[in-house]
Amino acid sequence: MKRIVELTINGEPRDMTVETCCSLLDALRDDVGLTGTKKGCDVGDCGACTVIVDGQPVNACLMLAVEAEGRTVETIEGLQPGVDVLHPLQDAFMRHGASQCGFCTPGILMMAKKLLDDNPRPTDEDIRFGLSGNICRCTGYTKIFDAIKSAALEMEAARS
Amino acid sequence: MNINTPIEEREFKIVGKSVKRDDVLEKVTGEAEYTGDVKLAGMLHGKIKRAAIAHARIKSIDVSKALAYPGVKAVLTHENVPRVLHYGSPHPRSASCTKDQYILDDKVRFWGEGVAAIAATSEEIADEALDLIEVEYEALPAVFEPEDAALPGAPLIHDVGPGGNLVLDPVRVNRGDVEAGFAQADFILEGTFSGGRPHPAYMEPNVCIADWDGSNKLTFWTSTQSSFMVRGILAEVLGLPLTKVRVLVDHMGGGFGAKQDCFQHEFLCALLAKETRRPVKMEFTRHETFVAGRARHPCRIWLKQGFKNDGTLVARDMKLVYDSGAYGSHGPGVTIVGTTAATSLYRCENVRLEGRCLYTNTPINGAFRGYGVVQSYYPLDIQMDEAAERLGMDPAELKLKNVVRAGDIAPSGHPIVGHGLEICLQHGIDVLDWKSIRNRDRTPDPKRPHIRKGWGTGCEMHGSSAYPGIKEQGNATVKVNEDGTVTLLTGAAGLGTGAHTALAQIVAEELGVRFEDVGVIHGDTDVVPWDIGAFASHTTYLVGTAAKMAATKVRASVLERAAMKLQVKAEELDLTDGQVFVTAEPGRFMSVAEAMGPSRGIPAANIVANGTYEPTKSYSFAAHFTEVDVDMETGIVEVKRVVPVHDIGRVIHPIAAQGQIEGGIQQGIGHTLTEDYIIDKKTGRSLNAGLVDYKMPLSMDMPDIETIILEAAPDPGGPWGAKGVGEDPIIAIGPSIANAIYDAIGVRFHHYPITPEDILKALREKGA
Ligand code: FES
Ligand code: FES
Repeated sequence: MKRIVELTINGEPRDMTVETCCSLLDALRDDVGLTGTKKGCDVGDCGACTVIVDGQPVNACLMLAVEAEGRTVETIEGLQPGVDVLHPLQDAFMRHGASQCGFCTPGILMMAKKLLDDNPRPTDEDIRFGLSGNICRCTGYTKIFDAIKSAALEMEAARS
Repeated sequence: MNINTPIEEREFKIVGKSVKRDDVLEKVTGEAEYTGDVKLAGMLHGKIKRAAIAHARIKSIDVSKALAYPGVKAVLTHENVPRVLHYGSPHPRSASCTKDQYILDDKVRFWGEGVAAIAATSEEIADEALDLIEVEYEALPAVFEPEDAALPGAPLIHDVGPGGNLVLDPVRVNRGDVEAGFAQADFILEGTFSGGRPHPAYMEPNVCIADWDGSNKLTFWTSTQSSFMVRGILAEVLGLPLTKVRVLVDHMGGGFGAKQDCFQHEFLCALLAKETRRPVKMEFTRHETFVAGRARHPCRIWLKQGFKNDGTLVARDMKLVYDSGAYGSHGPGVTIVGTTAATSLYRCENVRLEGRCLYTNTPINGAFRGYGVVQSYYPLDIQMDEAAERLGMDPAELKLKNVVRAGDIAPSGHPIVGHGLEICLQHGIDVLDWKSIRNRDRTPDPKRPHIRKGWGTGCEMHGSSAYPGIKEQGNATVKVNEDGTVTLLTGAAGLGTGAHTALAQIVAEELGVRFEDVGVIHGDTDVVPWDIGAFASHTTYLVGTAAKMAATKVRASVLERAAMKLQVKAEELDLTDGQVFVTAEPGRFMSVAEAMGPSRGIPAANIVANGTYEPTKSYSFAAHFTEVDVDMETGIVEVKRVVPVHDIGRVIHPIAAQGQIEGGIQQGIGHTLTEDYIIDKKTGRSLNAGLVDYKMPLSMDMPDIETIILEAAPDPGGPWGAKGVGEDPIIAIGPSIANAIYDAIGVRFHHYPITPEDILKALREKGA
């Protein structure tokens, strides 16, 4: 059975027509056409599908699309503050080589954004812990940690 | 042949700099298109019915209920697909391939093998219809271990091959006189070793889309490292000319070697699309990436070596047995490469090696970073540590005494030009103050007396190509456009390593233009020059050289054109930063754009040149120094710090090279300590085909990695001496961890993964 779900995606009111059994991940990718969010496992194990729902990081593969009714969803496509302007995390990921194949990158960027929003000055341990649900198989995480630390410093500098 | 002119020394403007990778912007914004993101009008979804039995004959298969299910558009079984015996890993230039696969067969050879395929209007419908296919099996006795498969009278898995369950004839290497060597030895060490079944576990599950047009041409999107091989084998098996198959792949979410087979689902997807005349997408579940993907070959190794009291190695006798799983795939290549690799690393004149590869009723093993060598260097390096202990020597010192040196014959059979292992090892010893590290307290924290610290080293060498097993060829086309911009066309896959950036850097450097002015076109077999595939750590080395050759040619043509416009001789001109100038009179210049564009009486031009390179091989080297904490109460090993010292010749993009090393270390820590894809030895079922039960090192588990890259031994075979880096790190890290564990707790392990249970058991046996 299909249902219409009204929600806000990356600041814009949207509606999606979805089967009740459809995950938020499939709805975003197939119905809304936002394919930046990736499917690495579809069972909540990898974090590639991380999006932010009402301020909380969520594995979009574990949430039903119908549960998103009335909520605010942020995806990788909304991370850029403006056309041609990158979020400091995006820029730092590029500079530090924190993205190799890039399949984990959207999920990790959303998780990192949440991390820095909550904790602008994270310790190394905070970063490691914050990313513990996101699998990256390419980088060994080293460059991801570097990029997040560097973005945190820049964001701090921009605030002061 | 390798280019063998001396390496040109020059000031680099672009090579050696970590320029912004062209593909990364799309990745951080979410715009990068992966195969799974492609959606075509009217697209159907394909699913595969997988056998729940490890070895059986299909007595009957009834698809009538599935076909009648609303939304199902086609069902394929062995009864209605072409029956063509084919290679699973279609290396068209390979010396060793095994033709042992059918698209669908009336026999099942491993638990999880596809027996039928469905196309339906949605994934859910296709999934539901799978349950409606009724298959009746006649069970056959199965074997799950290569030892059992080798026994006389073992059930035969194939009726092709050299006999028994052998995938290929045993690989034998003999150098010198092993018996005479052992006769000279002051002492002999002998041991058996084994390795598990680590899975590459790339983040993007295998996925493909097939679409046929009215002229019977197949367009095929697939996440592959080897698009031209996929084109070749699809065409061969489906009976099409090559020009009727177009393979497309833009971004891919990793592969690590394992995405260089032509997979069963790829044929089935193409055939379902043909049958339904609609595009069909087939996407693996994570479970399927394990069951129907490719893992590293499990192995058993027996190693006996003779040593003199001064530490000289006088004899090496080694037998290796690789488990191929149910099909040959890369079994022949892995067996040849892994076995012959053991001629080297530590010098020994008298060597006798025998490598075997056997079919078992388990999922297929294939190519995975470190291709057979992860397995064979693990024992070599560990036994070196054992010899050092016996001699009362420091293991790093003993390794330094024995590592290969310039002029030694490489596993490929030719003398190596650049030998960097000695330098890597010495460098690590020096920067770490290794001697004092070795003398440090093993229980430094009095508050945590159950934590033992240990340090270990591991060495490796690895070729920057698959020569001589595959006669490789690198191709590149470089175009200089009318506005002075440059286009590089390459067939090399965008695996995520940053290879396209490195290729663009090479072209920009050689041609003398800005990096930003070079665009890279890839991933379309109808457009780009033929490519062998992105594997064997060779893209920068092989395709990089081809790109440099093409750039040299277009540079000459650009200078000719500028010479005409500036009314000088081309020899009088130089070109850097996109400006052509008269060498003696730098004030007289014009941009490449001006040279290429129209001017009075001279129409605009477009210059094109190709480069083709067929190299032999270069070797890269590494020594890893690793610190571990072993918890004597839980058996958990934590890798605390790794100092990998690598020689990769000329570094093109430092950050990308470091990224390869750090990612390789992550995967190597995984297979050494926690990762093993487990197959039930009674049924052949997969026991941990998922990302929670298959335990990989994640953010909380990663050590501090202090990567050191030395340009110690550039090899003229690669661009300005560049060599490969992709596979090296995963080889050296394993033995360095095993040796560090021994250093910490005094227990030797000869296998991987070394689990907490193994450690606790060994400590109990030791009475500690
Ligand atoms: S796809 Fe959602 S956690 Fe893996
Ligand atoms: S960059 Fe490939 S999985 Fe993270």
